[in-house]
Amino acid sequence: MPARLETPVATLAEPIHAWRTWTLVGSRDGSQVRLAPIAGDGRPWPPRRPAQASCTRDRSHVRPELECTCGLHAVESPDELRRTRDPAVLGTVALWGRIVEHEHGYRAALAYPQRLRLLCYLCFTLWGRNGPGDCEVVVRHRGGRMVPLCGPHLELSRRYGYRVPRILSARAIESELLATYAVDPLRELVRANGGTAESISARR
Amino acid sequence: MDIGRPKRIIEVDPVSLPLPEVVPDLEPATPEPAPVEPDRSRPAP
Repeated sequence: MPARLETPVATLAEPIHAWRTWTLVGSRDGSQVRLAPIAGDGRPWPPRRPAQASCTRDRSHVRPELECTCGLHAVESPDELRRTRDPAVLGTVALWGRIVEHEHGYRAALAYPQRLRLLCYLCFTLWGRNGPGDCEVVVRHRGGRMVPLCGPHLELSRRYGYRVPRILSARAIESELLATYAVDPLRELVRANGGTAESISARR
Repeated sequence: MDIGRPKRIIEVDPVSLPLPEVVPDLEPATPEPAPVEPDRSRPAP
């Protein structure tokens, strides 16, 4: 019954940890890198401060609203993110405040990234988290959008006429990103935030 | 991303926020004001 769903049924003292992807924007020299949502209002996530949910449909209601799609989205498994449109960064994220729990993920009022890594979107779409190799370059487009690519997919992109206006070192961009948000690199692609699946379940 | 249908609402009020620690700024934000020299232009009473 929707009326019952509206009432918070659980109050927790620990943030929920989940997965999400972002696009990446940055300045021409590779500095000022920021995570930006793939959908929604497009506003970059602020470094060292929590990202706050907004609603592009209705500014008057509580965020996230049960019957709306607003809120900061995250999923339980990184495999759920394979169909995301052109992701540039994969990471774990801590969620808190008001949260709507869904079948496969969450919509939260507040969030902050915990671990991050650049993502070759072509590898991720093809192979998911079992994909090979790290990113070698970041292609920066006019307007600031940054697209990390592995070596083979950079070559493939050039062969098929994909515009490669400016190439930056992926290692340098990832270091800048981690320093900006003061978080650790994501190495383990199985469990959110290095915890166990059991501990994630226990937090609910 | 498809997160499926909503199940329930949770309220999370963390004991400590999952944000990076703020490194204390050891440099003073503004320089301390220089000591005011006594006004020697006027005669002492």
